[in-house]
Amino acid sequence: MITYIKLAWRNLWRNKKRTLISAASVFFAVILSLIMRSMQQGYYDYMIDSSVRLYTGHIQIHGKDFWEKRSLEESMYFDQTVIQKLKENKNISQIIPRLETFSLISAGKVSKIVQVNGINPEIENNVTKLSEKIVEGNYLKENSRGILIAEGLAKLLGVNVGDSVILYGQGYHGVTAAAVIPIEGIVKFAIPDQNKSLTYLALNYSQQLFSAYDRITSLSILLNDADEIESTKTFLKNYFDNSYEIMDWAELSPELVQSIQVDNASGIIMLGILYVVIAFGIFGTIMMMTAERVKEFGILISIGMKKGKLAIVTILETIFISFIGVAAGALISIPILLYLVNHPIPLTGETADAILAWGFDPIIPFAFYPGMYFAQIWTVLAIAFVSALYPVNFIRKLKPSVALRG
Amino acid sequence: MLFILAWRNVWRNKKRSLIIIAAITAGLSCGLLASAVMYGMYESLINSTIDRELGHIQIHSIEFDEEKILNDTIPDFKSVLNEIKKIPEISGLSSRVIIEGMCSSASSSRGVKINGIVPEDEIKVTTIQKQIIEGSYFSSNLSAEVVIGKKLAENLDVKIRSKIVLSFQDFEGNIVYAAFRVAGIYRTESSLYDQSVIFVKQSELFSLLNSKDFSHEISLRLNSFQQVDSVYSKLSKKFPTLSVKDWKLLAPEIKVYYEILDIQLYFFMGIILFALLFGITNTMLMSVIERIREIGILIALGMKRSKIFLMIIIETIALSLVGGIAGLIVGVIIIEIVNSTGINLSAFTEGLSQFSISTVLYPVLPLSFYPIITIMIIFSAIIAAIYPAIKAIRLKPATAIRTY
Amino acid sequence: MFTSNFLSAIKIILILFFILSAKALSQNATEIVKKADELMRAKSSYTELTMKIIKPNWTREMSMKVWALEPDYALIYITSPARDKGTVTLKRKNEVWNWLPSAQKVIKIPPSMMLQSWMGSDFTNDDLVRESSVINDYTHKIIGEEKIDGYDCYKIQLTPKPEADVVWSKIITWIAKDLYLQPLTEYYDEDNKIVKRFEGSDLKTMDGRKIFTHWEMIPLDKPGNKTVMDYTKIQFNIKIDESFFSEQNMKKVR
Repeated sequence: MITYIKLAWRNLWRNKKRTLISAASVFFAVILSLIMRSMQQGYYDYMIDSSVRLYTGHIQIHGKDFWEKRSLEESMYFDQTVIQKLKENKNISQIIPRLETFSLISAGKVSKIVQVNGINPEIENNVTKLSEKIVEGNYLKENSRGILIAEGLAKLLGVNVGDSVILYGQGYHGVTAAAVIPIEGIVKFAIPDQNKSLTYLALNYSQQLFSAYDRITSLSILLNDADEIESTKTFLKNYFDNSYEIMDWAELSPELVQSIQVDNASGIIMLGILYVVIAFGIFGTIMMMTAERVKEFGILISIGMKKGKLAIVTILETIFISFIGVAAGALISIPILLYLVNHPIPLTGETADAILAWGFDPIIPFAFYPGMYFAQIWTVLAIAFVSALYPVNFIRKLKPSVALRG
Repeated sequence: MLFILAWRNVWRNKKRSLIIIAAITAGLSCGLLASAVMYGMYESLINSTIDRELGHIQIHSIEFDEEKILNDTIPDFKSVLNEIKKIPEISGLSSRVIIEGMCSSASSSRGVKINGIVPEDEIKVTTIQKQIIEGSYFSSNLSAEVVIGKKLAENLDVKIRSKIVLSFQDFEGNIVYAAFRVAGIYRTESSLYDQSVIFVKQSELFSLLNSKDFSHEISLRLNSFQQVDSVYSKLSKKFPTLSVKDWKLLAPEIKVYYEILDIQLYFFMGIILFALLFGITNTMLMSVIERIREIGILIALGMKRSKIFLMIIIETIALSLVGGIAGLIVGVIIIEIVNSTGINLSAFTEGLSQFSISTVLYPVLPLSFYPIITIMIIFSAIIAAIYPAIKAIRLKPATAIRTY
Repeated sequence: MFTSNFLSAIKIILILFFILSAKALSQNATEIVKKADELMRAKSSYTELTMKIIKPNWTREMSMKVWALEPDYALIYITSPARDKGTVTLKRKNEVWNWLPSAQKVIKIPPSMMLQSWMGSDFTNDDLVRESSVINDYTHKIIGEEKIDGYDCYKIQLTPKPEADVVWSKIITWIAKDLYLQPLTEYYDEDNKIVKRFEGSDLKTMDGRKIFTHWEMIPLDKPGNKTVMDYTKIQFNIKIDESFFSEQNMKKVR
């Protein structure tokens, strides 16, 4: 066996150019498939990340049944001790309390039901960058008694910064909530529904207005590491009893999960097509390489080399070439991928503006996981090995007399 | 002269040529399939929303866009409908009455969007009738039929044939109450939609409101997704006093998603083309190396290097054309086969099977794409041939002839 | 007759209790219901009552004054608790307005808010304006005679006519033979399950009439919930006209 290996190795370097071309086809195959998969994964992570940051958080805690009924009656108690307890968990990076309810907003003759979000202005801004959406007026402060309203809503009500609106709704335990509130600022959202119906109050004031003292409807939690969702849920379940519901982002936005799954399935098909193209490149190269060596094979066989031995040597050659190509590809792709992960490709132009307006970053992101890394490497290696079987068949059918002549 | 030489060269070594032709054929058919998958995905993504509610283009009165109240009807909607009917690209046209109202059962009440439709017209625009999971789509014998979503049925605790009471404001601001019976229950992929949208025949709304026919929304479907832009601009010009919106304006969130996807898919295509290009370069390079001796002799005999370069390029073009035609044929066949069967995506991703709909992908490719892709592939084949061709003309004839 | 709604609950106490010499036995079901329905329609009234909203883990009590002019007008003034004091609800035909003293504004309740609960009770704004006719929308049938809370009652089933815009599959009510009091009414859904019960008790004489002054509305699908009303003062056929039920007056009434 050692002889075969030596022979194959020496063959490789006898014709360096040929070896390098073949290895290069494997090398590029590895890099291309890795970049493609990295981009797909990066996109899913980016979707999840944006949605988690802008809307759901990684995990949300509500009073039981709040998610279904959305009423203040399912709100939960919340104070500094809760924050302190949660901060003990090192995975938790942000704790975002919100008091969400619906209320009638009215100015002049126009009135409309809107969503009123009681927020902690500072925390909310850290997470969703709400203050950057202000188009007029000022952002809220912790003790503000004013309201932020969406731009489309302001237009509908015919009001501006400095005017007042009436909020009229129902507080906790059915108490009437009604107040005249000055408009502090106007915020613009890209999503038309949001732009027509969102309003914000400082949490303190909204608790007072809706008689929900020390209460919130949801506590969103952002984690340092999205892989810690399960462990953090367990931690939270120990702290919050059965009268709370603890949901992760996948439960909160099943539509996102579904769209990613559909997308991923098509992504896998695209990857499959790439594999076919790659396989053809590698296979074509090996076929050519073999065809080129007809004469050589013919001579070897006619001077008495067994076809079997020759086949083994050729297989070993291809395996070497594959390994060289894969190893080089795997090594070189690490810095490439790491670079792409840290320097996502920025988008420009109209699309970028539209994406930015939605609160997303206009980038093409990449991801890099060991799992996907090795999956691509194994796949390319497998394709190369399968291609290696071609010369075996070729040699088996080879007639030395014809080969020498051709 | 050179052409004849190149063409002869192509067929002199059949095996080598066939390998390159096969590479191009495979590349082209894969490229076509990839684009078709891409387009199929676009369409299925967008279609789930278009099919469910939007249609391709919608027309409202300008006021309705802002306020969405009963009085914001489309002025003289019948002549608008007649005008639209003249457009040949239209495959379906539905005039809808849209009323925000309430829906009550014995156990509960919910706010809903009541869609008053003409079922025969509506089925040509949207696909809710295919998503009925219980009962039927306006073909029961009940007198006042309503079709509601699964989630709403759960919220109201009602079944097929159950009575529900709808209430909404009439033109004078008085509240109208009317009993309907649940004829069908549908389920879409969006539970939000399912819990808030219900369908009744618009004729019943007209009689409840004691009103002549009117319309809030005209939704239309075109023969193909690709016709949206041209029909949209045609309609906007024709009806300057109405609000004409295509699906991109109606659902900007899908548009952004679509754009991100678009950019991403360009990258995919780029990667696939690059892989293809590399495969062809490799194969051509091998072919040149194999012919080193022959090319060396040609140079030694005094053939100009530029002619050799050109010869190899022409060879590649000839090969590409053969491969291109073969690739087109194979590609069309593959796409047709896959399109007729569909690709069930749930086979690729775990957990997708629980969603009963829109998980089957149908690759499609607009006709205009075939020549574009073909030219692109042949073009890349030529680019792929440049390096091997350069390699060939850099040969030193003496070394070349000696080497083999 | 009793629909589920709040104003009707108030109307219950407006029944004029003629003592009929004619034997009730000779009447058919529709006539009994009709009589009860006609009897409850006093032209106008002034009522003081307390309403207690009972939920599984909290309760809330409100006191109010109600002026009513049948069939289209009502004005409700909240006297307690302190936080809601001065809030006025005006019903005019199908429309509802609220006067909010804290905002010093009158707000018309838009259709989208009609289904919201009225002052946190089990009644919705819609219940205030909703009128379904127990005579025209239902067919009536005596299905027995029973003693409820010591009252000899006809047990009458009301079945909605096919096109009637009511959600109940049937209503069963017990009407006392002599006083036309209704100690119990049950509302059924399409699975023949009782969805809610309406119970009257505490017979008192007010403004010269014998009526029930304690009413409980019990939604059976929400265990632990009920709404209880106690009437403390009633005046029938007061002098009042449409001009009383105006936006201006909402700000003035005490």
